[in-house]
Amino acid sequence: MKDMGFTVWFTGLSGSGKTTIAELLQEQLIRRGLKVELLDGDVVRQNLSKGLGFSKEDRDTNIRRIGFVCGLLTRNGVVAIGAAISPYKAIRDENRRQIGNFVEVYMSCPLEVLAERDVKGLYRKALAGELKNFTGVSDPYEPPENPEVVCETDKETPEECLRKILTKLEEMGYIAPDRRDYTPEEEKKIEERLRALGYL
Amino acid sequence: MLCCQVGHLTTQRDCFASLAMTLLDSRHSGQAYRGNDTTEQLRAVRCPHLTALEDWIPAFAGMTPQNSSFKIQNSKFLRAMSLLRKKKHVLVIGIDGTPFTFLKKHIEAGDFPTLKSLSEQGAFAQMDSVQPCISSVAWSTYMTGKNPGKHGIFGFVDRTPNPFRIIIPNSKNMTSETLWEILSRNGKRVIVINVPVTYPPRQVNGVLIGCFLSPDIQKAVYPPSLMPAIRARGYRIDVDAWQARTDKEAFLNNLYYTLNKRLEVSQYLMKEIDWDFFQLHIMETDRINHFFWEHYENEDPKWSPRFLDFYRRVDAVIGELLGMARDGDQVIILSDHGFCTVKKEVYLNQALEEKGFLVLKADAKSVADMLPETRAYSLIPGRIFVNQEGREEKGTVEIGSHTEEILEELEEWLLTLKDDGTGERIIKETIRGDKLYHGDQLPMAPDLMAIPYDGFDMKGNVKPGKLTFKGDLVGTHTFHDAALLVRGQQLSVERPQLMNLMPSILGILEVNTPKDVDGEPIF
Repeated sequence: MKDMGFTVWFTGLSGSGKTTIAELLQEQLIRRGLKVELLDGDVVRQNLSKGLGFSKEDRDTNIRRIGFVCGLLTRNGVVAIGAAISPYKAIRDENRRQIGNFVEVYMSCPLEVLAERDVKGLYRKALAGELKNFTGVSDPYEPPENPEVVCETDKETPEECLRKILTKLEEMGYIAPDRRDYTPEEEKKIEERLRALGYL
Repeated sequence: MLCCQVGHLTTQRDCFASLAMTLLDSRHSGQAYRGNDTTEQLRAVRCPHLTALEDWIPAFAGMTPQNSSFKIQNSKFLRAMSLLRKKKHVLVIGIDGTPFTFLKKHIEAGDFPTLKSLSEQGAFAQMDSVQPCISSVAWSTYMTGKNPGKHGIFGFVDRTPNPFRIIIPNSKNMTSETLWEILSRNGKRVIVINVPVTYPPRQVNGVLIGCFLSPDIQKAVYPPSLMPAIRARGYRIDVDAWQARTDKEAFLNNLYYTLNKRLEVSQYLMKEIDWDFFQLHIMETDRINHFFWEHYENEDPKWSPRFLDFYRRVDAVIGELLGMARDGDQVIILSDHGFCTVKKEVYLNQALEEKGFLVLKADAKSVADMLPETRAYSLIPGRIFVNQEGREEKGTVEIGSHTEEILEELEEWLLTLKDDGTGERIIKETIRGDKLYHGDQLPMAPDLMAIPYDGFDMKGNVKPGKLTFKGDLVGTHTFHDAALLVRGQQLSVERPQLMNLMPSILGILEVNTPKDVDGEPIF
């Protein structure tokens, strides 16, 4: 087990499910006894990045700020979850370098599906030209080249996405598998003890 | 300046010390000591030890060092000070699953001389366990002073809802600091041996040997450097409980061996380490109860005397450990639940399946093999969960009115469950999880607890074929009959709870209790 914090960074277009899965992940990690903080892009823009717009420069500043806080949390043993569109690869990679323990989750979903979903009504406005600098429509999005996890949110359920991420975190040694600290033989031994006492 | 005013730890000892300094000042100045001023000062800062200190203040009031009675009072005061200043130690012995009523009966009959002597020197009380009343939950509650909703341990077996897996919780699942971790943080040296849910051993200032969830001694000892010494003494993690089914004699011999080794290792560590807090957990009492309680209750001519002999040995082991303690050490003996004879094992998942709440694959081995049609399932003992959408991996029951409907249906139905052999009612009451527990671990708690009448042993296995069986295990736990024995103290409550012990022990060792602890000190 790596006895340290790490950052799970969700990137993807608006409405792709970043906040939904990030919240599910946060809940699961807390249940496993970890200290977890979620930095959601929409929330951060109301405080830490209040006043920033959607120009490339402002977007970069926003992502750098979230990355900076994630880095502080990570180095203090906390699990930081960043959930922001974070459209530019260069800044995401910069955060990765700076933070170190960095797990990138790409929330992939075709634009047509997102426009169809349009939970916040933003795609309709953007496609009608009412919203400037809208990522995926009037502003670029650079998908990650080598993310640790890809969630295809048009095909996978939130539970499947969550399981993928948890499995990856277990594989990478950031979180303990559910049956922890036992080899398969040891696990059998403990189960046998519990069975002898009628607990299994 | 009194200690309370300068923000120090407001222990009785500190207050006495600051009072002594005030007295010293008045002696040096040669002026009469103005006791009333001190009382007023103590009152103004709400000194928690005002009553104890007030006994002394009038004795000095109006005196100067020239007064003849000053010397007498001063020497009495200094003696009291020196007693208070003596380093305190706490020795705890856990006797897992030993009922209060059983101890009381045999203490009165003169079977347990050590416990008899202890009970005459302090408090001996019946105590409530926790729900569910099994060792992992009970001792976690004891060691954290918190309800399971905060410490996160709800059973020896648990589940993660998504992905749905059956897990065996251990110390890493415990989401709270333990008594010995708090003591360690405050510079106290601790020895902790075999307390349930202490594997893997978490770091302490001293020694910790993990419980029976440890696969072997190699991984059970903190610090690992002590492992060879523990192993060399033949220490054993646990007895083989299967043996009780095949060779009772050998099982008993192993119980004695394991108990004696625990004593030997305890004595070794107590000599090696200048400890402030020592705790040995005797698990063997629970083990013998599971396999011999019925024989004891029925006064089986062969096994009942052997059963009692084993408890006599436990009493003697406690005596030997007390012999290692220092004068004035605080001694606490406690159990975590009571015991009674098993009437029947109850397989709740069988009933849930028959009633259509639980839908399993044909070859299901556990509730992990349930199908999405499942509305509710159970884990040992009597923990019931709704298969909730968004929580369980294959959850289909909507949160809100749908869940509420199912819970109400379950509550009504569970109370009608009867032993298919005798027709006796099985479930005494049902309690919602959110009524039993509070805290950030509440999402892991069962939605409903089915609490049986004494003697019905709730199981979590699937597809046994029948609701009730009489099995190999002849003793089962009870909630209301745990025991507490505290030397040299009276309890401030009639009915202590397990979670009261941790803040009481911290108080004795003059360590502040964290604010989020649920239990209140009782001595």
